[in-house]
Amino acid sequence: MHIPDSFIPLDQAIIYWVIALPFIIMSMKWAKKELDEMKIPILAALAAGIFAIQAMNIPIGMGTSGHMVGAVLVAIIFGSPWAGVLVLTLVLLVQGFAFADGGITTMGANILNMGVVSGFVGYYTYSFLRRNLSTNIAAFGGAWLGLFISAIVCAIEMWLAGTFPLRAGLIAMGTYHLIIGFIGEGLLTSIAITAIAKSRPDLLEDSFTTRPDKSKKEVHA
Amino acid sequence: MSGNSNMKFLYAGIAIALLLAVLAPFLASPDPDGLESAASHVVEKSKLSDMEENKPAVNAPMADYSIKGLGKGGEVAAIAVGTLAVLAISFGFGIIFKKKA
Repeated sequence: MHIPDSFIPLDQAIIYWVIALPFIIMSMKWAKKELDEMKIPILAALAAGIFAIQAMNIPIGMGTSGHMVGAVLVAIIFGSPWAGVLVLTLVLLVQGFAFADGGITTMGANILNMGVVSGFVGYYTYSFLRRNLSTNIAAFGGAWLGLFISAIVCAIEMWLAGTFPLRAGLIAMGTYHLIIGFIGEGLLTSIAITAIAKSRPDLLEDSFTTRPDKSKKEVHA
Repeated sequence: MSGNSNMKFLYAGIAIALLLAVLAPFLASPDPDGLESAASHVVEKSKLSDMEENKPAVNAPMADYSIKGLGKGGEVAAIAVGTLAVLAISFGFGIIFKKKA
Protein backbone atom coordinates (compact mmCIF):
# COMPACT_ATOMS: atom_id res chain seq x y z
CA MET A 1 0.00 0.00 0.00
CA HIS A 2 3.06 2.25 -0.40
CA ILE A 3 1.87 5.30 -2.35
CA PRO A 4 4.43 6.44 -4.97
CA ASP A 5 5.13 10.16 -5.57
CA SER A 6 3.12 10.23 -8.80
CA PHE A 7 -0.17 9.17 -7.13
CA ILE A 8 -0.75 12.37 -5.10
CA PRO A 9 -0.23 15.97 -6.31
CA LEU A 10 2.46 17.80 -4.37
CA ASP A 11 0.14 20.27 -2.59
CA GLN A 12 -2.00 17.47 -1.19
CA ALA A 13 1.06 15.38 -0.35
CA ILE A 14 2.35 18.28 1.76
CA ILE A 15 -0.98 18.45 3.61
CA TYR A 16 -0.62 14.77 4.55
CA TRP A 17 2.90 15.46 5.79
CA VAL A 18 1.54 18.31 7.93
CA ILE A 19 -1.14 16.01 9.38
CA ALA A 20 1.38 13.20 9.93
CA LEU A 21 3.95 15.36 11.69
CA PRO A 22 2.16 15.73 15.05
CA PHE A 23 1.66 11.95 15.13
CA ILE A 24 5.38 11.42 14.46
CA ILE A 25 6.26 13.89 17.23
CA MET A 26 3.82 12.17 19.61
CA SER A 27 5.44 8.83 18.84
CA MET A 28 8.82 10.32 19.78
CA LYS A 29 7.30 11.63 22.99
CA TRP A 30 6.02 8.14 23.67
CA ALA A 31 9.61 6.88 23.31
CA LYS A 32 10.88 9.49 25.77
CA LYS A 33 8.23 8.46 28.27
CA GLU A 34 8.06 4.68 27.83
CA LEU A 35 11.12 3.38 26.03
CA ASP A 36 13.73 2.28 28.55
CA GLU A 37 17.08 0.71 27.79
CA MET A 38 15.67 -2.81 28.20
CA LYS A 39 13.01 -2.28 25.54
CA ILE A 40 15.31 -0.88 22.83
CA PRO A 41 16.34 -4.36 21.57
CA ILE A 42 12.65 -5.33 21.29
CA LEU A 43 11.89 -2.18 19.28
CA ALA A 44 14.89 -2.68 16.99
CA ALA A 45 14.10 -6.37 16.43
CA LEU A 46 10.50 -5.57 15.51
CA ALA A 47 11.51 -2.76 13.16
CA ALA A 48 14.04 -4.97 11.35
CA GLY A 49 11.60 -7.88 11.16
CA ILE A 50 8.84 -5.67 9.80
CA PHE A 51 11.11 -4.18 7.16
CA ALA A 52 12.05 -7.69 5.99
CA ILE A 53 8.53 -9.12 6.06
CA GLN A 54 7.29 -6.18 3.99
CA ALA A 55 9.50 -7.51 1.16
CA MET A 56 7.64 -10.82 1.29
CA ASN A 57 4.61 -10.26 -0.91
CA ILE A 58 1.99 -12.97 -0.61
CA PRO A 59 -0.14 -13.79 -3.68
CA ILE A 60 -3.85 -13.31 -3.04
CA GLY A 61 -5.17 -14.25 -6.51
CA MET A 62 -6.63 -11.82 -9.09
CA GLY A 63 -3.06 -11.06 -10.20
CA THR A 64 -2.46 -9.21 -6.96
CA SER A 65 -0.22 -9.56 -3.94
CA GLY A 66 0.14 -7.94 -0.56
CA HIS A 67 2.29 -7.98 2.53
CA MET A 68 2.08 -7.48 6.26
CA VAL A 69 2.30 -3.89 7.54
CA GLY A 70 3.04 -4.65 11.19
CA ALA A 71 1.89 -1.55 13.07
CA VAL A 72 -0.71 -3.53 15.04
CA LEU A 73 1.83 -6.17 16.08
CA VAL A 74 4.17 -3.50 17.44
CA ALA A 75 1.30 -1.67 19.16
CA ILE A 76 0.12 -4.85 20.91
CA ILE A 77 3.60 -5.77 22.11
CA PHE A 78 4.32 -2.28 23.47
CA GLY A 79 0.75 -1.70 24.64
CA SER A 80 0.55 1.55 22.69
CA PRO A 81 -0.35 2.50 19.12
CA TRP A 82 2.36 5.20 19.29
CA ALA A 83 4.96 2.44 19.16
CA GLY A 84 3.42 1.29 15.87
CA VAL A 85 3.56 4.82 14.45
CA LEU A 86 7.21 5.10 15.48
CA VAL A 87 8.32 1.79 13.96
CA LEU A 88 6.41 2.34 10.71
CA THR A 89 7.90 5.85 10.41
CA LEU A 90 11.44 4.43 10.72
CA VAL A 91 10.69 1.59 8.27
CA LEU A 92 9.04 3.91 5.72
CA LEU A 93 11.97 6.34 5.89
CA VAL A 94 14.43 3.61 4.90
CA GLN A 95 12.06 2.14 2.29
CA GLY A 96 11.45 5.53 0.68
CA PHE A 97 14.98 6.88 0.60
CA ALA A 98 16.93 3.69 -0.10
CA PHE A 99 14.49 1.55 -2.07
CA ALA A 100 11.95 3.87 -3.75
CA ASP A 101 9.22 1.83 -2.02
CA GLY A 102 6.71 4.58 -1.36
CA GLY A 103 7.46 8.17 -2.41
CA ILE A 104 9.22 10.87 -0.41
CA THR A 105 6.52 13.48 -1.03
CA THR A 106 3.86 10.88 -0.22
CA MET A 107 5.65 9.53 2.86
CA GLY A 108 3.40 11.61 5.11
CA ALA A 109 0.35 9.89 3.63
CA ASN A 110 2.01 6.49 3.94
CA ILE A 111 2.89 7.12 7.59
CA LEU A 112 -0.70 8.20 8.22
CA ASN A 113 -2.22 5.17 6.50
CA MET A 114 0.08 2.39 7.62
CA GLY A 115 1.36 3.77 10.91
CA VAL A 116 -1.48 5.85 12.33
CA VAL A 117 -4.73 4.48 10.84
CA SER A 118 -3.82 0.79 10.77
CA GLY A 119 -2.05 1.01 14.14
CA PHE A 120 -4.76 2.91 16.03
CA VAL A 121 -7.76 1.08 14.51
CA GLY A 122 -6.00 -2.26 14.94
CA TYR A 123 -4.79 -1.69 18.48
CA TYR A 124 -8.08 -0.40 19.88
CA THR A 125 -10.04 -3.12 18.07
CA TYR A 126 -7.64 -5.62 19.66
CA SER A 127 -8.10 -4.05 23.11
CA PHE A 128 -11.87 -4.22 22.74
CA LEU A 129 -11.92 -7.83 21.50
CA ARG A 130 -9.41 -8.88 24.15
CA ARG A 131 -12.01 -8.39 26.89
CA ASN A 132 -13.98 -11.43 25.75
CA LEU A 133 -11.71 -13.29 23.38
CA SER A 134 -8.33 -14.96 23.49
CA THR A 135 -5.23 -12.91 22.66
CA ASN A 136 -4.60 -14.57 19.30
CA ILE A 137 -8.16 -14.10 18.03
CA ALA A 138 -8.25 -10.49 19.25
CA ALA A 139 -4.90 -9.87 17.53
CA PHE A 140 -6.24 -11.40 14.32
CA GLY A 141 -9.38 -9.25 14.36
CA GLY A 142 -7.55 -6.05 15.21
CA ALA A 143 -4.86 -6.53 12.58
CA TRP A 144 -7.37 -7.44 9.90
CA LEU A 145 -9.65 -4.47 10.53
CA GLY A 146 -6.70 -2.08 10.92
CA LEU A 147 -5.35 -2.96 7.49
CA PHE A 148 -8.76 -2.90 5.85
CA ILE A 149 -9.65 0.55 7.20
CA SER A 150 -6.26 1.94 6.20
CA ALA A 151 -6.88 0.70 2.64
CA ILE A 152 -10.28 2.44 2.63
CA VAL A 153 -8.63 5.66 3.82
CA CYS A 154 -6.00 5.23 1.10
CA ALA A 155 -8.74 4.83 -1.54
CA ILE A 156 -10.35 8.08 -0.35
CA GLU A 157 -6.98 9.86 -0.54
CA MET A 158 -6.59 8.53 -4.10
CA TRP A 159 -10.01 9.94 -4.94
CA LEU A 160 -9.18 13.35 -3.40
CA ALA A 161 -5.95 13.29 -5.41
CA GLY A 162 -7.95 12.81 -8.62
CA THR A 163 -6.09 9.55 -9.19
CA PHE A 164 -8.87 6.98 -8.55
CA PRO A 165 -12.61 7.28 -9.12
CA LEU A 166 -14.35 7.02 -5.72
CA ARG A 167 -16.60 4.00 -6.10
CA ALA A 168 -14.37 1.79 -8.26
CA GLY A 169 -11.35 2.74 -6.14
CA LEU A 170 -13.11 1.84 -2.89
CA ILE A 171 -14.30 -1.48 -4.31
CA ALA A 172 -10.88 -2.46 -5.69
CA MET A 173 -8.87 -1.33 -2.65
CA GLY A 174 -11.45 -2.78 -0.26
CA THR A 175 -11.61 -6.17 -1.98
CA TYR A 176 -7.85 -6.66 -2.25
CA HIS A 177 -7.14 -5.51 1.29
CA LEU A 178 -9.92 -7.54 2.82
CA ILE A 179 -7.93 -10.56 1.61
CA ILE A 180 -4.46 -9.12 2.28
CA GLY A 181 -5.69 -8.12 5.75
CA PHE A 182 -6.95 -11.64 6.44
CA ILE A 183 -3.77 -13.49 5.47
CA GLY A 184 -0.95 -10.96 5.39
CA GLU A 185 -1.95 -8.97 8.46
CA GLY A 186 -4.46 -10.93 10.57
CA LEU A 187 -2.96 -14.42 10.41
CA LEU A 188 0.67 -13.30 10.58
CA THR A 189 0.03 -10.93 13.50
CA SER A 190 -1.85 -13.68 15.31
CA ILE A 191 0.94 -16.21 14.69
CA ALA A 192 3.58 -13.75 15.91
CA ILE A 193 1.56 -12.89 19.03
CA THR A 194 0.97 -16.58 19.78
CA ALA A 195 4.70 -17.29 19.45
CA ILE A 196 5.54 -14.38 21.72
CA ALA A 197 2.86 -15.40 24.25
CA LYS A 198 4.57 -18.81 24.47
CA SER A 199 8.20 -17.69 24.55
CA ARG A 200 7.91 -14.28 26.25
CA PRO A 201 4.55 -14.01 28.01
CA ASP A 202 5.96 -11.16 30.12
CA LEU A 203 6.12 -8.91 27.03
CA LEU A 204 2.36 -9.16 26.55
CA GLU A 205 1.42 -9.02 30.24
CA ASP A 206 3.50 -5.91 30.51
CA SER A 207 1.39 -4.13 27.94
CA PHE A 208 -1.71 -4.80 30.01
CA THR A 209 -0.35 -3.79 33.36
CA THR A 210 1.12 -0.54 32.11
CA ARG A 211 -1.87 0.27 29.89
CA PRO A 212 -4.85 -1.32 31.59
CA ASP A 213 -7.71 -0.15 29.42
CA LYS A 214 -7.41 2.58 26.91
CA SER A 215 -9.99 1.21 24.52
CA LYS A 216 -12.51 3.83 25.61
CA LYS A 217 -10.37 6.46 24.04
CA GLU A 218 -11.85 6.98 20.61
CA VAL A 219 -10.16 5.78 17.49
CA HIS A 220 -9.25 8.93 15.71
CA ALA A 221 -7.53 9.57 12.39
CA MET B 1 11.62 -8.41 31.77
CA SER B 2 15.30 -9.15 31.90
CA GLY B 3 17.84 -7.55 29.63
CA ASN B 4 19.28 -10.92 28.73
CA SER B 5 16.03 -12.33 27.38
CA ASN B 6 15.43 -9.10 25.46
CA MET B 7 18.78 -9.57 23.76
CA LYS B 8 17.64 -13.10 22.85
CA PHE B 9 14.50 -11.56 21.36
CA LEU B 10 16.73 -9.21 19.35
CA TYR B 11 18.88 -12.06 18.01
CA ALA B 12 15.78 -14.08 17.10
CA GLY B 13 14.35 -11.02 15.34
CA ILE B 14 17.56 -10.47 13.35
CA ALA B 15 17.70 -14.16 12.42
CA ILE B 16 14.08 -14.17 11.19
CA ALA B 17 14.59 -10.89 9.29
CA LEU B 18 17.75 -12.12 7.54
CA LEU B 19 16.06 -15.42 6.69
CA LEU B 20 13.24 -13.42 5.09
CA ALA B 21 15.83 -11.34 3.20
CA VAL B 22 17.28 -14.51 1.70
CA LEU B 23 13.91 -16.07 0.88
CA ALA B 24 11.91 -13.04 -0.30
CA PRO B 25 13.61 -12.61 -3.72
CA PHE B 26 12.71 -16.24 -4.51
CA LEU B 27 9.38 -16.67 -2.74
CA ALA B 28 7.72 -13.25 -2.78
CA SER B 29 4.95 -12.83 -5.31
CA PRO B 30 5.97 -10.65 -8.30
CA ASP B 31 2.32 -9.60 -8.75
CA PRO B 32 1.52 -5.90 -8.19
CA ASP B 33 0.40 -5.01 -4.67
CA GLY B 34 -3.16 -4.03 -3.79
CA LEU B 35 -2.68 -0.33 -4.55
CA GLU B 36 -0.87 -0.87 -7.89
CA SER B 37 -3.34 -3.54 -8.89
CA ALA B 38 -6.27 -1.26 -8.06
CA ALA B 39 -4.61 1.52 -10.10
CA SER B 40 -4.28 -0.73 -13.14
CA HIS B 41 -8.01 -1.48 -12.99
CA VAL B 42 -9.55 1.87 -12.13
CA VAL B 43 -7.19 4.42 -13.72
CA GLU B 44 -7.46 5.17 -17.46
CA LYS B 45 -4.64 3.64 -19.48
CA SER B 46 -3.26 6.96 -20.79
CA LYS B 47 -3.18 8.50 -17.31
CA LEU B 48 -1.63 5.36 -15.86
CA SER B 49 1.28 5.44 -18.32
CA ASP B 50 1.82 9.14 -17.51
CA MET B 51 1.96 8.26 -13.81
CA GLU B 52 4.39 5.42 -14.45
CA GLU B 53 6.66 7.71 -16.45
CA ASN B 54 6.95 10.11 -13.55
CA LYS B 55 10.20 9.42 -11.78
CA PRO B 56 10.25 9.29 -7.98
CA ALA B 57 11.10 12.61 -6.32
CA VAL B 58 14.39 11.21 -5.03
CA ASN B 59 16.60 8.66 -6.77
CA ALA B 60 16.92 5.70 -4.48
CA PRO B 61 20.20 3.76 -4.62
CA MET B 62 18.52 0.33 -4.53
CA ALA B 63 15.18 0.98 -6.24
CA ASP B 64 12.77 -1.95 -6.07
CA TYR B 65 15.03 -3.84 -3.66
CA SER B 66 17.60 -4.65 -6.30
CA ILE B 67 21.18 -3.77 -7.09
CA LYS B 68 21.91 -3.19 -10.77
CA GLY B 69 23.52 -6.18 -12.48
CA LEU B 70 23.50 -8.46 -9.45
CA GLY B 71 20.25 -10.35 -10.07
CA LYS B 72 18.73 -12.38 -7.25
CA GLY B 73 21.90 -12.14 -5.14
CA GLY B 74 21.62 -8.38 -5.37
CA GLU B 75 18.04 -8.53 -4.18
CA VAL B 76 19.03 -10.63 -1.17
CA ALA B 77 21.83 -8.17 -0.44
CA ALA B 78 19.51 -5.16 -0.85
CA ILE B 79 16.93 -6.50 1.61
CA ALA B 80 19.66 -7.58 4.04
CA VAL B 81 21.28 -4.13 3.88
CA GLY B 82 17.87 -2.50 4.43
CA THR B 83 17.16 -4.79 7.38
CA LEU B 84 20.46 -3.93 9.03
CA ALA B 85 19.94 -0.23 8.29
CA VAL B 86 16.50 -0.29 9.95
CA LEU B 87 18.02 -2.19 12.88
CA ALA B 88 20.83 0.35 13.30
CA ILE B 89 18.54 3.36 12.93
CA SER B 90 16.00 1.98 15.44
CA PHE B 91 18.77 1.22 17.91
CA GLY B 92 20.26 4.66 17.44
CA PHE B 93 16.87 6.28 17.78
CA GLY B 94 16.20 4.25 20.93
CA ILE B 95 19.46 5.30 22.55
CA ILE B 96 18.87 8.99 21.79
CA PHE B 97 15.17 9.11 22.62
CA LYS B 98 14.89 6.60 25.47
CA LYS B 99 13.45 7.70 28.74
CA LYS B 100 16.03 9.25 31.00
CA ALA B 101 16.67 7.17 34.09
